[in-house]
Amino acid sequence: MTLDRLKQHFPWVTLVVLILIVGAMDPNFLRPQNLVELAGDIAPLFIMALGMTLAIYIGGIDLSAQSVANMTTVLATITLPLFGVFSALVVIAVGFLFGAVSGLVTTRLKVPSFIATLAVGGIALSVGQFASGQRALYMDAGQRDRAFGWMLGSTAGIPHELVLSLVLLAFAWFIQNRMKAGRILKAVGAGELAAVASGLRVDRYKILAFALSGMFAAIAGLLFSVKLSGGSPTLAEGFLLPAIVAVLVGGTPLTGGVGGVLNTLIGAMIVAVVRASMLYLDIPATSQQIFFGIVLIVAIALTIDRSKMRIVK
Amino acid sequence: MLTQDNLQKWAPLLVLVVLVVFFTAVNPNFLSIRNFARIAIASTPALMIAVGVTFVILMGSIDLSMEGSVAVCAVLFATFFAALGGSLAGPGLLAVPATLLVGAVFGAINGLVHVKLRIPSFMASLSMGFVGIGLSLLITGGDRILVEDPLFRSLLTVRLGGFPLMTYVAIVALLAGWFIQNHTTIGRNFYAVGGGEDLAHASGLNVNKVRVICFLIAGVFYALGAMLAVAQIGIAETVTGRNLMFVSITSVVVGGTALWGGSGGVWNTLIGVLIVNVIGNGMVVIGLPSYVQDGVLGLLVITAVYLSTDRRSLSFVK
Repeated sequence: MTLDRLKQHFPWVTLVVLILIVGAMDPNFLRPQNLVELAGDIAPLFIMALGMTLAIYIGGIDLSAQSVANMTTVLATITLPLFGVFSALVVIAVGFLFGAVSGLVTTRLKVPSFIATLAVGGIALSVGQFASGQRALYMDAGQRDRAFGWMLGSTAGIPHELVLSLVLLAFAWFIQNRMKAGRILKAVGAGELAAVASGLRVDRYKILAFALSGMFAAIAGLLFSVKLSGGSPTLAEGFLLPAIVAVLVGGTPLTGGVGGVLNTLIGAMIVAVVRASMLYLDIPATSQQIFFGIVLIVAIALTIDRSKMRIVK
Repeated sequence: MLTQDNLQKWAPLLVLVVLVVFFTAVNPNFLSIRNFARIAIASTPALMIAVGVTFVILMGSIDLSMEGSVAVCAVLFATFFAALGGSLAGPGLLAVPATLLVGAVFGAINGLVHVKLRIPSFMASLSMGFVGIGLSLLITGGDRILVEDPLFRSLLTVRLGGFPLMTYVAIVALLAGWFIQNHTTIGRNFYAVGGGEDLAHASGLNVNKVRVICFLIAGVFYALGAMLAVAQIGIAETVTGRNLMFVSITSVVVGGTALWGGSGGVWNTLIGVLIVNVIGNGMVVIGLPSYVQDGVLGLLVITAVYLSTDRRSLSFVK
């Protein structure tokens, strides 16, 4: 077996090893109930990472995800009294639109995706601050429970957040593996020039990937604001780093083309277990960012496909 | 002559002039030394950061680590400063070179991660930025550190010809940046790498070394920007660097330095920083809320990159 063949098994092996290590420190950790709750807790982050996967899958990146989620927490809180459960549709549409704008800017105007999404993120930040009046807003508990109570709580020990995550995962997986769009996204990630040369309308599908990324970021923001029963233009701060880490340690390289949404499930679980283990080891939460930053560097270095980059800028 | 090239070269300055005229027309108070001093104070830290990242962008790379780098430099500066007696008129002065060194080391690590691990600079530096934010949190425990030395604060409080001392510090640093860019070998090498890495490499240039040195120099400028930011508000904390990434990158590209490298420079960046801050200040002067600024910056950066890109020569971007 060559290293490359082994590489694709790294993520889940890492996950199992991590779980066993933490389990050895505290056997309670291994209780199925605990693991299921752990998976439920990471739902908003995982959903954002799902969208991020699509952007990275085509060799781009979406740095606006956190800002879009921030904006969504505000918009969801504002639209809840007006539209009830349908406010979900509104914020999801807005997220999709912001992602589509990123996609348009990067494909039509040829602005690299990290700058395009950074800029669109700035716009989302402004919208969030404008809509909230730069304050933290709160949802009315009754209204929230009537409209979105189903997102929280658990049935037969399975947290609803986990179910929601898995439904969204199935949706993303279906697009990626069972639809023409998914095959084209893979082609774009594997070699964009070849994809263009074979007559694919590459731009359209790239825009779609960014739009879906924005949509998932909005769903993540919605779930988070329902969870915390409110919204503010900085509520989802701190999501971007772990979301990118989840995608990359899951095994979707920065250069795209391989990996995918199932990998991100594993990546998100790795992030969750690492966070939990830091609690057990009494490592202060402030070190998390240092740790994940370094993990990100290592993960990129290990997974990146250098044959696609003659010059690394 | 009004050729396309000329237009592109002078467009940023033209935009700046138009903006000043526009805001003055809407509110004559805009055109006053007092208000210009306000713009200068707001621009100073951002200018230092933007000059630093200009060098990196000249090479066609990018550095997104400044928020973390500035946070680390700011809190370490305040820590050193306090430990060394807390006065600029004494051993506290040593905190300045120490902080510059911290910035240089942080920048060098940034460059080494990018070059040695062969990771695209935007991701290498973004990751390092996160590490920096984490480090500064670890150092301060989330607290803010006050820097109250009157001598240090005189950078803001003492004015010369209407402008505070920190403005002059920034001008000296800008001149140093210009000197590095135009009158040193390493400065010329930034352009060589940005203009065509293959050629630079083929002519025997150690491109990787140039890269690391470039990130190192950028780090020194971030450290300088961090100290001026602390002088500005008298507080060092993790959020000292907040928003500086977006503002500085926008300034550089709006000033006319191409994201693809090889053209532009620190004077462009000066114009860019002034454009961004005149807009920020002008919006307040004409009564628009300050939070509109991020959105406006977003539109600006897209427009600037769009206008400076020769799209025929590009088959696709990632």
